[in-house]
Amino acid sequence: MNELISKVPNGMRYYFGAAARRRRAVEDTIMEVFDGWSYEEITTPAVDYLALFELGMGREAANRAFRFTDGDGSLLALRPDVTSSVARATATLFAQRARPLRLCYAASVFRQRPQSHAEWRRESRQLGCEFIGSSESIADMEMLAIATEIFERLGLQDDYRITISSVEVFNGITEELGLDAFGRERMRHLIDIRDAADLQRFLAEYQIPAQDCVAFSRLAQLPGKREVLDEARCVITNKRSRAALVKLEELWRLIEELGLSDVFEIDLGDVSELDYYTALTFKVYLTGAGSRVGGGGRYDRLIANFGKSEPAIGFVLELDALIDVLLRRDIKTPVSADAETDDAQMTSDDPASVLLEARERRRQNERVRVGLKRSENA
Amino acid sequence: MPELTIAVAKGRMQDEALALLERAGVRICAEARNSRRLSVADESGSYRFIFVKPSDVPVYVEHGTADCGIVGRDVLLESNADVLQPLDLRISPCRIAVAACAGVIKSELGALRVATKYPRIASTHFGARGIPVEIIELAGSVELAPVLGLADAIVDVVETGRTLAENGLGIVEVITNSTGRLVVNRASYQLKAEAVAQLIGALRLVLGEGAVCD
Repeated sequence: MNELISKVPNGMRYYFGAAARRRRAVEDTIMEVFDGWSYEEITTPAVDYLALFELGMGREAANRAFRFTDGDGSLLALRPDVTSSVARATATLFAQRARPLRLCYAASVFRQRPQSHAEWRRESRQLGCEFIGSSESIADMEMLAIATEIFERLGLQDDYRITISSVEVFNGITEELGLDAFGRERMRHLIDIRDAADLQRFLAEYQIPAQDCVAFSRLAQLPGKREVLDEARCVITNKRSRAALVKLEELWRLIEELGLSDVFEIDLGDVSELDYYTALTFKVYLTGAGSRVGGGGRYDRLIANFGKSEPAIGFVLELDALIDVLLRRDIKTPVSADAETDDAQMTSDDPASVLLEARERRRQNERVRVGLKRSENA
Repeated sequence: MPELTIAVAKGRMQDEALALLERAGVRICAEARNSRRLSVADESGSYRFIFVKPSDVPVYVEHGTADCGIVGRDVLLESNADVLQPLDLRISPCRIAVAACAGVIKSELGALRVATKYPRIASTHFGARGIPVEIIELAGSVELAPVLGLADAIVDVVETGRTLAENGLGIVEVITNSTGRLVVNRASYQLKAEAVAQLIGALRLVLGEGAVCD
């Protein structure tokens, strides 16, 4: 066949058979959990103005989208994320509704340029929820509790880790050092790739006592439990970072009280998406997946782009990354019988009678399969 | 079951990397080392080593097939892989440089044809200087290109500079220095935190950077 017709574009794929069934079942499970926590489903437009996503995600992230022009020349995009659109709806459609708002969604998002080599997909299904109108730790913890419930229900309770951090810890430090945008990005990059030696050298240029450089580099290196916060307090003295540490400690107490401290880690080296998030950030890792399968955080400034400012926190899971891990496990330990075998096969020479019987059985909610006698004999 | 899979760049870096690991207490028995197997375990059974082409190291690590890798900074810059780089192992030092035939001086390089194995590094370098370039991607023996007139200059790794000199080329500009790095997959860093920390700690001690992790 002509390659133009047979070839599937990079980053796109089919799902069928067991994989398609598994994918649907996992999506249903997750949406049930959202529903169980009183999150209302929302469906957003698949095509929207590029300007919306530029406001919502930042220009650079929005520019990864598939873009095209509307009849009047304005730029449109195939949605690269859902939160932007939810934030706009919050400020417009739901402006008058009582707070807090709890919204959830299951939607395919598209990116013309994938984020990294390992995340090769250009179409991916995101399942997410947003909690709008509260900045309290209880809202943060609700998000994290929902995440843990999802992994328990999927039978993955022993295989995932969630790291938490706050962008304000980093923001406080760069403010104290008086870094310009360039220095800030350089420092962010060194923390992000965990290059402790270069980070120490970088900090030393700012007349920071050597022992503090070492302590801080170490802090940004490895994740840990409560002791990370104790160590951080010894090194970090500025007000802004301190306030963030207090908030993290409050959250950690809740995590401990819920008996979840085994699956959580405090990772002050998580400094990605700084311009988007405003306080708590978290990332979800799953054994068997080479990159993270989900994440989220607090984006208290986003909604102000569309109307009045209000606090919000969101969480998103990458369904396709999850499914990849689950399918590879299914192959090792088959769990369900093949769903194609338990239907009733019906054949007759008279099409009307066989279809009548099929309709009757369908009324009883039986699974049927109408046989096509002639072609099967041929 | 090994705790960590480590991808090591084959070639000049391999021996130095294994020697460094040995000083850090990670030993591969001589029999396995001399065999042609591409996947071997260390003596303690904690680590599995795979030996792959340098440019494949970031690929294995970014996908999480290998938890860690040992590879040159030149390869990392070229691949633009999204991996963590916690340690400079200071092995196999070299420079990435622009080189040209003796006599072609920097100010005369206006619009250029550049032959290289590092198209990304080359176009970023000249892009930052506003110099338009035509990148000619080659797989090896890049030094030949200016000699035969295929290109005006090359961007390549330079260790001693002997190959350049013997082909009548000289360094015009050093783009950056490169040494061997330890790289870690982002998910492994969280999910296998203890094993990764142990490896980093042992290597850091050998490198004399004990202070950072005590």
